[in-house]
Amino acid sequence: MRSKGGTLAVLVGAVCGSGPAMADNPLHHNGVSRIYDPYVQAMEKELELRTLYQWDDNPVENRVIQQRIGYGFSVNDRVFAEAYAIGTRFPDKPLNIEAYELEAKIQLTEQGEYSTDWGVLVEYEREISESIAELALTLLGSRQWGNWVGTVNVGLEYEFGSDITDEIDRFLNAQWRYRYKEALEPGVEFYADEFTRGIGPVLAGTVRGQGKRKWIWEAGLIAPLNDTTPDTTFRFLLEYEF
Amino acid sequence: MKALPTRCLPPRRGRQGLLSLLLWSIAPWVYAQTPVFEIEIREHLFFPAELVIPANQKIKLIIYNRDDTPEEFESYELNREKVIVGNSQGVVFIGPLKPGEYPFFGEFNMKTALGKIIVE
Repeated sequence: MRSKGGTLAVLVGAVCGSGPAMADNPLHHNGVSRIYDPYVQAMEKELELRTLYQWDDNPVENRVIQQRIGYGFSVNDRVFAEAYAIGTRFPDKPLNIEAYELEAKIQLTEQGEYSTDWGVLVEYEREISESIAELALTLLGSRQWGNWVGTVNVGLEYEFGSDITDEIDRFLNAQWRYRYKEALEPGVEFYADEFTRGIGPVLAGTVRGQGKRKWIWEAGLIAPLNDTTPDTTFRFLLEYEF
Repeated sequence: MKALPTRCLPPRRGRQGLLSLLLWSIAPWVYAQTPVFEIEIREHLFFPAELVIPANQKIKLIIYNRDDTPEEFESYELNREKVIVGNSQGVVFIGPLKPGEYPFFGEFNMKTALGKIIVE
């Protein structure tokens, strides 16, 4: 009989066991992003700042910063919607807003109701200067073992437009985090998509303000597991909930 | 960043396994008997402020917010967070927990809305 704890592990295996597919835009080679939990709170609004800084021995991919700023709000106690502006900055060039993204997170089960908590994330991203769009559907799963929390994001991404070859890609992101204390939770993250295989440490925490105001931060350093992942990726996230 | 990998379709067995595992992870809990406990929020206070629940057993906690204003049941120790709008109710599943005390609070009224779950 298989143990319940094997669910997330098998999900990882089922996706990573399959091979990657090709994409056209070299900026999409870095699949490091963030790990989404499957939870939604009613009456929540947030501002989000997300930064990705990558280093690589390939000069074209070296010292590239991807920056996104977003605003999100709860539609109800099950649906959270967020809109982002996404910019990229290459060395010696100014930050250029290149795309926007709309996303909706849907909480499917109550936290703790089943052995694993589930949610779904739907994302639509559109490049501004090129006819390239992406539509992604992600299954969000999270499970707690004592003070440890494992979260898996596994999904499909459809890229389409006249400036790109239409294709469907798969991805899997996972996080294993220790609930040490509210302001500081260490963990490990793993990212896998068509080009990316990366793993590295992450720190996260929540700082409370007055009333329902909160600052949520995450910082991680992701190292490559294959040749097509940037040599080092630093990711930082700051959310202000109010 | 060097050579890019080539296209490869996912194995069908992996996709079928994914669906089976999803169903399998939920099924054991569908028919489980979960004890139900209740808490009320009145004038930004929890009643009862201390709730005793059994150890090593999952419980369903129904929180009734009798105030006109919203409140958020929150506990880092329980790893639970739930906003309950005014004059409504919310459900939080807790545990299974080891014996001990697990504090919780109302995030919108942190000075008054305080309580704890006592696991015995």
